[in-house]
Amino acid sequence: MSVKIDTRPIWVLLGLKALRPLFFVTLAASFLYILGMTTPEGLTPEGQKAIAVFAVCLVLWVTNVIPLAITSILAIVLVPFLGVLSTRETYALFGNEAVFFILGAFILAGAVMGSGLSTRIALYMLSRFGSSPKKLVLAIFLLSAALSFFMSEHAVAAMLFPIVLEISKSLGIRPGRSNYGKLLFLALAWGCVIGGIATFLGGARVPLAVGILNEMTGQTIGFLDYAVAVFPLVVILLILGFIILMRSFPMDIQGVEGAAEALGKKLKALGKVRYTEYAVGVVMLATVLAWMFLGRRLGLSSIALTSVVFLFVLKLVRWKDIEEYVNWGIILMYGGAIILGSSLHKSGAAEWMVNGMVGSWATSPWSVILVFSLLALFLTEGMSNAAVIAVLLPASIAIADKLALDPALVTFAIAVPAGLAFMFPMSTPANALAASSNYISMRDMMRAGVIVNVLAWVLFNLVAAFWWPLIGMGY
Amino acid sequence: MKKVLLVLPSYISSDEALDLAVRRAREDKAALVALYLIAAGAADDVFDAFSDIGFIGDRPSSQVSEAMMKEYRQRGYEELGKVQIRAMEEGVAFEPLMEAGEPVEKVLSAIEGMGITTAVLVKRKERAILRYFQRSYADEVAEKAPCEVIVFTGGQGPIKEDKKDVKEVDRGRA
Repeated sequence: MSVKIDTRPIWVLLGLKALRPLFFVTLAASFLYILGMTTPEGLTPEGQKAIAVFAVCLVLWVTNVIPLAITSILAIVLVPFLGVLSTRETYALFGNEAVFFILGAFILAGAVMGSGLSTRIALYMLSRFGSSPKKLVLAIFLLSAALSFFMSEHAVAAMLFPIVLEISKSLGIRPGRSNYGKLLFLALAWGCVIGGIATFLGGARVPLAVGILNEMTGQTIGFLDYAVAVFPLVVILLILGFIILMRSFPMDIQGVEGAAEALGKKLKALGKVRYTEYAVGVVMLATVLAWMFLGRRLGLSSIALTSVVFLFVLKLVRWKDIEEYVNWGIILMYGGAIILGSSLHKSGAAEWMVNGMVGSWATSPWSVILVFSLLALFLTEGMSNAAVIAVLLPASIAIADKLALDPALVTFAIAVPAGLAFMFPMSTPANALAASSNYISMRDMMRAGVIVNVLAWVLFNLVAAFWWPLIGMGY
Repeated sequence: MKKVLLVLPSYISSDEALDLAVRRAREDKAALVALYLIAAGAADDVFDAFSDIGFIGDRPSSQVSEAMMKEYRQRGYEELGKVQIRAMEEGVAFEPLMEAGEPVEKVLSAIEGMGITTAVLVKRKERAILRYFQRSYADEVAEKAPCEVIVFTGGQGPIKEDKKDVKEVDRGRA
């Protein structure tokens, strides 16, 4: 009989035990060191404090040691505590339009999911168009993308995931061994990611970026303006993404009869379309149209919240249900990110950092767009896309000021690539879901994802160079 | 009666481990116990990613978790079915188990509760540099189990005894 004894060095064992406290002590020491440093030339004392807070939040956002929303709370506490902004000014930033737009959009998405409308649409589309192996993958890919035009890509991934699992089971696919399994789950993840950049509704990062832009410059980007600017990128990425999927994982099944049967059963179990589904669909459609055509005049958040009120007036949802579909951490997360961005801008820290660190290469508008889009694309693989925006946008807007470049352009250059995470499971929940199914390995995801990532960056810059001037957004 | 325990984690499988466990049970005239492990954090990791990033609420997240756990359980039945067929072919008595929870705790309680004499475990291949900073459940079980433990690395043979950070210690046979 035998047992294995751990003979690793004692310092390793103790180090592993003390890792977390050590991390926080080091972080606190670094924070105090930045605060205690002699203020560099050209930087205000408030700017130095803002940079200290920014550094701490950056480390916590990247490492995810504490939840993102809690990191934001830390920013909310530290900014007025250190006197970077007044308490009143800090908390007033919570009333930012972007935060309420995000909240309204999520409540609306919750109503669509809660009513069962999104599931019905998904099952109908898949059973209608998924008649062959290739068509089924395409249907999942396009459906994920199309639904992500109207609701959070993460919510879409969560909603479609059980359906795709059911399909895989019905086809008798072996997890990790079958190329078709890899195709199905990557189609789901990539569809959500690509569709998620198409409008303000695919994720909260674009409203957040517009919120920070508005706080810093007074400028804004309209719902329709944004959609038109990124439309070609979305279309081309969908086409090329599907081709790359098919090339990367050649199909290894002949038919999908089992899936059709499973989908048919599920659709039948839903019964006839109910009044609630119709009504929620109409409210959602009216809201999207209002955002498109009345957004600038009435304000996106006012339209979103009006629709939310309508949902309750028409008795389509109950507060209890809505609470279960909305994660209230988003209010903290985005409020904190806007506060951090504003504190960097108003204290002059953003401008100082730009002059000191990136001023040398930022000599022309195109180099700014190229570099910031690459940075956003790279960083979003390792941290939350909202954190990427909070980190990069204040500095990029300061550079735009310096080069007399429209700040809206750099906002696009960060907000759009920040949503394009294809490589790692931890990059976005859609990828995390696909990987956790065990149908696809991390290596598979990286192998195919790196190609799409490079392609996305090149395409984004081509769209910026050739499409934007055509719609009056040239640089 | 002697008992051989074959531990099947949900994220990795090894035909060599199955072969060895069945052969060992047959040679020792022992019963084969197959334990399919559903890692506690498997669905929770995804749930946390969703709720931590803050994009969707509890209901969709728990629906995802449920779907995933259901999937893992179904896979468990399939894996256990495969082991059962092998055991029947070799004329070995077979007992299936499925547990969700902390792997080390579940394996050790199965070893102690069922009087296991030999445990066959499978673990992922680990990078040398990471060996100092993280330990697999298999290493921990090997350290604490009161029986013979054979560890397979995914897709490879049983681990040799020349690893720098572990040693075989003879506790004497009961």
